[in-house]
Amino acid sequence: MRGPKDFRLSDGTVIDHLPFGTAVRALQVLMLPRGGPVTVGMNVPSPTFGRKDIIRVEGVELSKVELNRLALLGERITVSVVRDGAVAHKVVLETPLEIEGILHCPNPTCITTQEEVLTVFHRIGDFPYRFRCHHCERTRSLHEETQAAVPNRP
Amino acid sequence: MVVDVTDAHRAFRGRSVISAEDFQKEDFLAVLDAARRFDPEGGPHKYEPLLEGRILATLFHEPSTRTRLSFEAAMLRLGGKVLGFAEPHQTSFSKGESLADAIRVVASYTDVIVLRHPMEGAARLAAEVSDVPVLNGGDGSNQHPTQTLLDLYTIRKSTGRLDGLKVAFMGDLRYGRTVHSLTNALLHFDVQLTFVGPESLRLPETLRTRVEAAGRLGPEVSSIEELDDDIDVLYCTRIQKERFPDPLDYERVRSAYRVTRKSIEPFGDDLKILHPLPRVDEVATEVDSFPGAVYFEQARNGVTVRMALLHLILGQGEDA
Repeated sequence: MRGPKDFRLSDGTVIDHLPFGTAVRALQVLMLPRGGPVTVGMNVPSPTFGRKDIIRVEGVELSKVELNRLALLGERITVSVVRDGAVAHKVVLETPLEIEGILHCPNPTCITTQEEVLTVFHRIGDFPYRFRCHHCERTRSLHEETQAAVPNRP
Repeated sequence: MVVDVTDAHRAFRGRSVISAEDFQKEDFLAVLDAARRFDPEGGPHKYEPLLEGRILATLFHEPSTRTRLSFEAAMLRLGGKVLGFAEPHQTSFSKGESLADAIRVVASYTDVIVLRHPMEGAARLAAEVSDVPVLNGGDGSNQHPTQTLLDLYTIRKSTGRLDGLKVAFMGDLRYGRTVHSLTNALLHFDVQLTFVGPESLRLPETLRTRVEAAGRLGPEVSSIEELDDDIDVLYCTRIQKERFPDPLDYERVRSAYRVTRKSIEPFGDDLKILHPLPRVDEVATEVDSFPGAVYFEQARNGVTVRMALLHLILGQGEDA
């Protein structure tokens, strides 16, 4: 039987400080699992955030586009790139004020669902962020959408 | 606050008007001040050929009477010409042409475009691809900024001010885009806002929170009888039958939110009643002769305000 140490990364990525409940969404956004084994920690105690989720994935480094997508899920998500068992690079993700081409508008009567157009969303307020569609002006909250999908939430 | 007309022209020249949300307080005031010179004060609008040789395109993908005709009247009164369509079936849209392509082409024929479209955000997209200014004549349930401008103009003209007013909205508070846009616009001024409507058609929570956070939310009431008798403006909207699955519920609500001579008696003669029209029977015709019933003047103001807006966008400041 494998112990926890067997999951220690030699090469891959650690995504830390995911807001509690967002790990599953992060897996979807990043189209994981792929590459090697993926370890998911949910509801992990955190001195800063109270509770958080963590993802470790072997053999995968995230692209800039993937980092941008991930940045929408939280306010200070950290991504560490591990090479040869050591952290080679670490970034704290910041959610941009304007998000181009990543989010789709869920409003079925938004013009962006009918025409070929680059979607633009504006970040509103502090975390948990709301995002306003530049075209139809409807707002959506990825945080609320994600939290609603967490079963048995206390 | 008096806005210098030359500054207003500088601010509006070549500008698209897509959403009341894009307007700052000074933008609203600039249009309202510019509209004064075009106000006929009861008679027909004067012919002022300030936009001679200019062409307005009215592209209406949905039915409209007041918006389309008042834009066309405004352009004709300013000496310009008008072309366009009132329904898209005989155009290349029925062949599947994209809105973006069609707008690019129309922009190459004309100087300004008014667009009404069932999809929200259509006018924003049109403005992004157009070489000429685009004016939003209504995009789905989202925005109708020139309606907001003429509503503000009517309130200021009929009451003499925009600050220090108590305004009550009644009817469909949930889906009525005129209510939402005017509410947001009025938050730029010192007003108290009260909302009267059935439970199922209450103001969207995000907007209600915004009004409350601004400290402008008046007492919440569920009928016209419960309104304070010192309100200055009653803005009525139509409650649409299709919002109610049960016809009996609709009938109950319809009669509860109907404005009659008797229901407005407690408010005195200073009350101003507005309605974006068309009305069905939410304002009884007996109210039409009430001195404060300004909804037909409100419709007339549509031409006044649209003349001002077209002149600000296309005209030369020194003509003003």
